[in-house]
Amino acid sequence: MVLVLALGDLHIPHRAPDLPPKFKSMLVPGKIQHIICTGNLCIKEVHDYLKTICPDLHITRGEYDEETRYPETKTLTIGQFKLGVCHGHQRLTSLFPIYRLKVISWGDLDSLVMLQRQLDVDILVTGHTHQFTAYKHEAGVVINPGSATGAYSSVTCDVNPSFVLMDIDATRVVVYVYELVDGEVKVDKIDFKKTTATTAH
Amino acid sequence: MNLKHQQTFALNHFHGITQTHHHPTPSTLPMMLKGKIKLPEKARRAFPDVLGSLVAGFDEKDEENGGFPDRVVGEELETFEPNGLASDREIDEYGRDDEEKYPEGELVREKHEKDVGVLVSVEEIIAKDEKRSDLEYELSQEEINLEKLQRIASLGLPDGGSVRATAWKLLLGYLPASRDLWEKELGENRSKYAKLKEDLLLSPSEFSRRNNDGPDLNEQCVDMGVEGPLERQKVSNEDHPLNNGKASVWHQFFQFSEIAEQIDRDLQRTHPDMKFFSGESSLSRKKREAMRNILLLFAKLNPEIRYVQGMNEVLAPLYYVFSTDTDEQNAAHAEADSFSCFVRLLSDSVDHFCQHLDNSAVGIHSTLARLSELLKANDEELWRHLEYTTKVNPQFYAFRWITLLLTQEFDFPSVLRIWDTLLSNPFGVQEMLLRVCCAMLLCVKSRLLSGDFIANLKLLQHFPITNIEHILRVANDISPDMSSFLLPL
Repeated sequence: MVLVLALGDLHIPHRAPDLPPKFKSMLVPGKIQHIICTGNLCIKEVHDYLKTICPDLHITRGEYDEETRYPETKTLTIGQFKLGVCHGHQRLTSLFPIYRLKVISWGDLDSLVMLQRQLDVDILVTGHTHQFTAYKHEAGVVINPGSATGAYSSVTCDVNPSFVLMDIDATRVVVYVYELVDGEVKVDKIDFKKTTATTAH
Repeated sequence: MNLKHQQTFALNHFHGITQTHHHPTPSTLPMMLKGKIKLPEKARRAFPDVLGSLVAGFDEKDEENGGFPDRVVGEELETFEPNGLASDREIDEYGRDDEEKYPEGELVREKHEKDVGVLVSVEEIIAKDEKRSDLEYELSQEEINLEKLQRIASLGLPDGGSVRATAWKLLLGYLPASRDLWEKELGENRSKYAKLKEDLLLSPSEFSRRNNDGPDLNEQCVDMGVEGPLERQKVSNEDHPLNNGKASVWHQFFQFSEIAEQIDRDLQRTHPDMKFFSGESSLSRKKREAMRNILLLFAKLNPEIRYVQGMNEVLAPLYYVFSTDTDEQNAAHAEADSFSCFVRLLSDSVDHFCQHLDNSAVGIHSTLARLSELLKANDEELWRHLEYTTKVNPQFYAFRWITLLLTQEFDFPSVLRIWDTLLSNPFGVQEMLLRVCCAMLLCVKSRLLSGDFIANLKLLQHFPITNIEHILRVANDISPDMSSFLLPL
């Protein structure tokens, strides 16, 4: 039973001052084993704060992050699942030269599928759109935790703060979706499992 | 010179106490002999007769004598075989009636021993055999006579085999006296335990999975099936991992995860010298997991006390004895049986673990006071020396003796032997425990009398005596202090 927090696009301090207090009161240390962050924190203080919740922090670079040394993509294995992380603002070509000719627009599902294939992961966690989505396609599942602060995106200002907590238990995942709606925290979940075991790397 | 004075002084004093001591009879011989066959030369002078043994060697370096050097559990059982007494083994002559003054008699003594050695050994073999068959006879009865069992068990049970495990279960009241009820009782208790585990030790993930409405409908496969957005569903019971509410399964889980971590840490440190408990083999890991389940379950069922460091030490002998039961059925259910027996054992003394009861009538301080009173009633001189002259308060040394039932003061096989006596006391474990503690003090009396606060504390916190039979004999003779003694109901 492993708890993995996935969040991103906080845009602190430029677009939001902090996480909503109701989220902060829930995110206490000692419960979460891993944190996956899609990017755009943007400052070091946010990095440090996340580290206090859980020391095992995996971050990928968002276009506004001050820290330039975060990787573009990251993969990790938890339980029987391979997870991949990428902010999603990039052009696929810049990540994988093989796709030289494809022009990708943000949030394009096809490119995400290609990215997932390239990373060879069961669950791809990306951000950038500031909208929670969970989608299943032939290469696996894509999850976008949205913006944890409700920061505006280039597309919309109407953003509910949201993040995701995954309970990974061998071949089964329960994705708890936390969303702040009208000042109240709403929790939903998504259940899915894997039928084939991961081959050891 | 001084030492000699003290020795004789001590002897006189003990003389006073042990006037009523019975002389060893054949049936007690085997127990007293148990293990002694392996004694190194030096220690033998300690055992010849009752009074001599009270003085000799015990105030000297007992570590060297070590009643039972590297005792290997299995080996002891072998000494019961009639053939096991090879001629090269020198056996203590035993049960001498005349009270000899001990000190310089060493050389003379050995000669005596060699003379009588052969004669006595046959007697002893027979006596030991008798005792063992007594025990087996008792245990094979349809209706077991608990009083008789208590009497025999208090003299020590054999290591290995199945006897000790069965005897302890009977003495703790886990097994009823009627043999034909055993199967039913064991079956019921063991399945009750399995259910408890299921109810209380389930991980919250498992719990929510089981409580899901229509689990199959909700689970989607990540590596096959239809493409499309994944449906968000309601969480069951409004419960989720970050829920801080008291009723939340997750919240309770995290509260106990701290306790679980403490238990794990303590289990890692339990008997690190024993392969059974320590090491990374899958067997010892399973053992630790079983013990962890027991302690965690106990903590959940007793929220006022939860888990206290040290409970792992009290569980260890029980779990060891039940797991090493040569009866495979029993050994397989060692976890369930140990849990029940652990609860029974602790029910007497659980208040000692409760910090807020420390100063109450049932708390540890009250028990320590009873120990003081007991010492005072049996040896006022020593009591005065400890209490007033050197100000060695029982709190400084006996706290651990009492709360952990002496598991930390002696080597493991000795602890098992002591527990045979503790568990078979008709007046309960605590009563005998206090007497054993008092006996421990009496056995190092002259050293205590010549020591100051620091020396005495050091001595008592690293108790040097390893001749358990001797301590238990002295304990047997201690007159209980009736004034503060409460008979269990």
